[in-house]
Amino acid sequence: MAIEVPVEHVLLVAAALFLLGLLGVLVRRNIIFLLMSLEVMMNSAGLAFIAAGAKWGAPDGQIMFMLILALAAAEVAVALGLVLQISRRFDTLDVDAASELNG
Amino acid sequence: MLEYLWLVPALPLAGFFALFVTEGKLPDKIVAVIGAGSVGLAALVALGAGIEFVQSGEASYSQTLWTWMAVGNFAPSISLYLDPLSLVMTGVITGVGFLIHLFATGYMWKDHQEPEGLSRFFAYMNLFVFAMLMLVLGDNLLVLFLGWEGVGLCSYLLIGFYHRDPENGYAARKAFVVTRVGDTLMAIGLFLLFRELATLDIQTALGDAAQLDSGMATAIGLLLLGGAVGKSAQVPLQTWLPDAMAGPTPVSALIHAATMVTAGVYLIARMKGIYDLAPAAQFAVAIVGLVTLLISSFTALTQTDIKRILAYSTMSQIGYMFMALGVGAWSAGIFHLMTHAFFKALLFLASGSVILALHHEQDIFKMGGLWRKLPVPFASMLIGSGALVALPFITSGFYSKDAILLTAHGYEHHGGLFWFGGVLAAVMTALYTTRMMVVAFFGETKTEPHDSSRINMWGPLVVLCVLSIGGGWLGIGVLDGLLGPINEFSHAHPMALTTMILPLIGIFLGWPIFRGQIDLSRLVGSTFGDALRRFWQSGWAFDWVYDRLFVKPFVWVARVNKGDAVDLVFRITAAVTRGLHHIGALTQTGRLRWYAANMAIGLIVVVLIVASA
Amino acid sequence: MTLDLALFWIPALVALASTLLVITRKNAAHALIYLVVSLLSVAVIFFVLGAPFAAALEVVIYAGAIVVLFLFVVMMLNLGNTSVMRESRWLRPGMWVAPAILVSVLLITMVYVIVGLPDANVTKGEMVGPKAVGNELFRPYLLAVELAGFLLLAALIGAYHLGRRYLEQRREP
Repeated sequence: MAIEVPVEHVLLVAAALFLLGLLGVLVRRNIIFLLMSLEVMMNSAGLAFIAAGAKWGAPDGQIMFMLILALAAAEVAVALGLVLQISRRFDTLDVDAASELNG
Repeated sequence: MLEYLWLVPALPLAGFFALFVTEGKLPDKIVAVIGAGSVGLAALVALGAGIEFVQSGEASYSQTLWTWMAVGNFAPSISLYLDPLSLVMTGVITGVGFLIHLFATGYMWKDHQEPEGLSRFFAYMNLFVFAMLMLVLGDNLLVLFLGWEGVGLCSYLLIGFYHRDPENGYAARKAFVVTRVGDTLMAIGLFLLFRELATLDIQTALGDAAQLDSGMATAIGLLLLGGAVGKSAQVPLQTWLPDAMAGPTPVSALIHAATMVTAGVYLIARMKGIYDLAPAAQFAVAIVGLVTLLISSFTALTQTDIKRILAYSTMSQIGYMFMALGVGAWSAGIFHLMTHAFFKALLFLASGSVILALHHEQDIFKMGGLWRKLPVPFASMLIGSGALVALPFITSGFYSKDAILLTAHGYEHHGGLFWFGGVLAAVMTALYTTRMMVVAFFGETKTEPHDSSRINMWGPLVVLCVLSIGGGWLGIGVLDGLLGPINEFSHAHPMALTTMILPLIGIFLGWPIFRGQIDLSRLVGSTFGDALRRFWQSGWAFDWVYDRLFVKPFVWVARVNKGDAVDLVFRITAAVTRGLHHIGALTQTGRLRWYAANMAIGLIVVVLIVASA
Repeated sequence: MTLDLALFWIPALVALASTLLVITRKNAAHALIYLVVSLLSVAVIFFVLGAPFAAALEVVIYAGAIVVLFLFVVMMLNLGNTSVMRESRWLRPGMWVAPAILVSVLLITMVYVIVGLPDANVTKGEMVGPKAVGNELFRPYLLAVELAGFLLLAALIGAYHLGRRYLEQRREP
């Protein structure tokens, strides 16, 4: 049923997605975009797991993906709460505005 | 009642907790009821348990409460051990303790220096009674040591009770530090004992003591003597006791006369089995007692503060007890401990009444002519002094002191010397007691007293008067059977007659001298006499010597080492760490994207390392 | 094999392209739409790789729940034209240089590692259905499920606390 492709290809796509997400995190100052980029990065990690699972025909890859999914959901819920607080407190979405933890 | 023995220490402890957790918020009346009542109930329980114990005819009774800790083979238990010795001690602590607590409810009421301190005072006092009871009832040396340190702590807290005056804090610290010297010796002694016998249980240890070789037994005996010397204010660790009079007078009566300072006597009496194996250590006990006895009686002759006179007299009387234990008059020593607790508590409480009536005037030369104005304290002082001087036949002190002196005379090593020292000190005792009574109570009135004492103050005095007189017959009647024969000599013995009569000479000499009928001013005023007087007044210059020998060098070392050379290592470490912290903090920009970029760089490094492996 | 490769690479390229658009958009709503496209194409990849359950979850939870959450926030913050202009101010071309170099270095190392893998790593081509996943999930991975449950509960409480409107008023006296 399913296709047979070299795992390297899938992993390359996953790496590329991950790095695009990282690029977004590094470049964007708007915290909403930053969070979207984070979602992309986590999604690419899930893709790598699925690829590994497909290589062995085992369900473990999908299970790890589901755990990543739970993590992403939790992260997004808390992070968006933080976004609301930051926008109220600093009246901006600039992530560099919240730099009070500098040493 | 015997199975309720645990209540005896538990009641004062409960009283302490009740007063401690309420932080002085209770009304003064309730504080007094709790403070004195807990000890009173403990005394009743102790009385009931004691009667049942005596009737049962058993040699001992022990009650295990729980196991303290279990480490390998070492499992000391919290258990109480009642035998004649601890029964006598328990009776003295709870009985005399209760009377003193009762007196204190009057003495400390609306105290002029610490009007808010009543709750604190009784909390410490109750804690002290608990600790002292654990000391004497403890079945093993660890519990004993717990009580030992507990009474030391309470003594410290109560000497410094009037903490607003730095002098009192100094006195408290001095008492604490000096007794710590003895306690350290004692702890080493306990360590040695545990190493040799692998137990701290007193009865087991004494049973196995025959396994000790004589050198080890002597070492342990001497180390324990060190602890006893510190606690009981004997030479050379006696210097703290006169300063300890800075505490309230009931404290001096309870802790520094009747109970805590006799803990050393108790310890040596309790460890008798060790001293039996170590004649050298036992001889040292006798020597310590004799030296203290003489030094402190001469010192008492020159003091002017009534409480300091009594403090030196306490030291000398404990010297008698040490001498008694040293020369083998074991039961006589314990008997003297009991009678001394009665009459010295009486003397302190009576002097407390006088001091209170004179608005805290303690100098006897500012008193004078009080016998008419303060009849109850005067009568109490008179009876107490009679017992202290050991007036023949009618006072309790006579029976106990006489027994000690006569046994000392029969002691095989220099018995005559001990007898002579003891009698000489007895003469001196008579002399300084007469001086105190004459100067303070006769002659012209110098300060007008205001007697405001009530039944809770003169009641205990009356009871203690009765005990000071009747305690002797009580001892002969009851203790003789419990502890073993006290006095094996007849009073008709010629030696006994001398012993009996010599102290009276002190009184007959003292009366005219201090009334001013014999003029000794040329003798006292001469250069030598004056120097001797000042030497005695300073307590044979022990404080001066210790100050030069220990305090000054220590302070000097502390001053030289102000920068604390040893600490330099740690300070350098701290400085280096702080420097690294400042460097590390530079990377802490607070910018999220900067952190992410750094993580990416780290990722590159990790991936390269993994790939190249 | 060629068909298989095409089945994989077409959604993969769509995913890469839409992700690139996500990180470059100035309007948050547009970016979110591209994010949905990216997620859906990844879901297609999951499906063709033989993980239909994961694909369904990807659509339902990622493209559905999470993106909708984002949309709500964007709505609440009311990001309009001013925010687009602010984005253009923040997103100057010079900003891209250093991160791009960093990411390129990382890409090169990753490609080097992935290409260096041993040969014959081809996916098995089997469908692993929800039944197999469920069997595995609730037996050996039960502990992980519990832990994920804890995590979600903590997130729930945290989000509830952070989401309160007047949290900041108690901060400063």
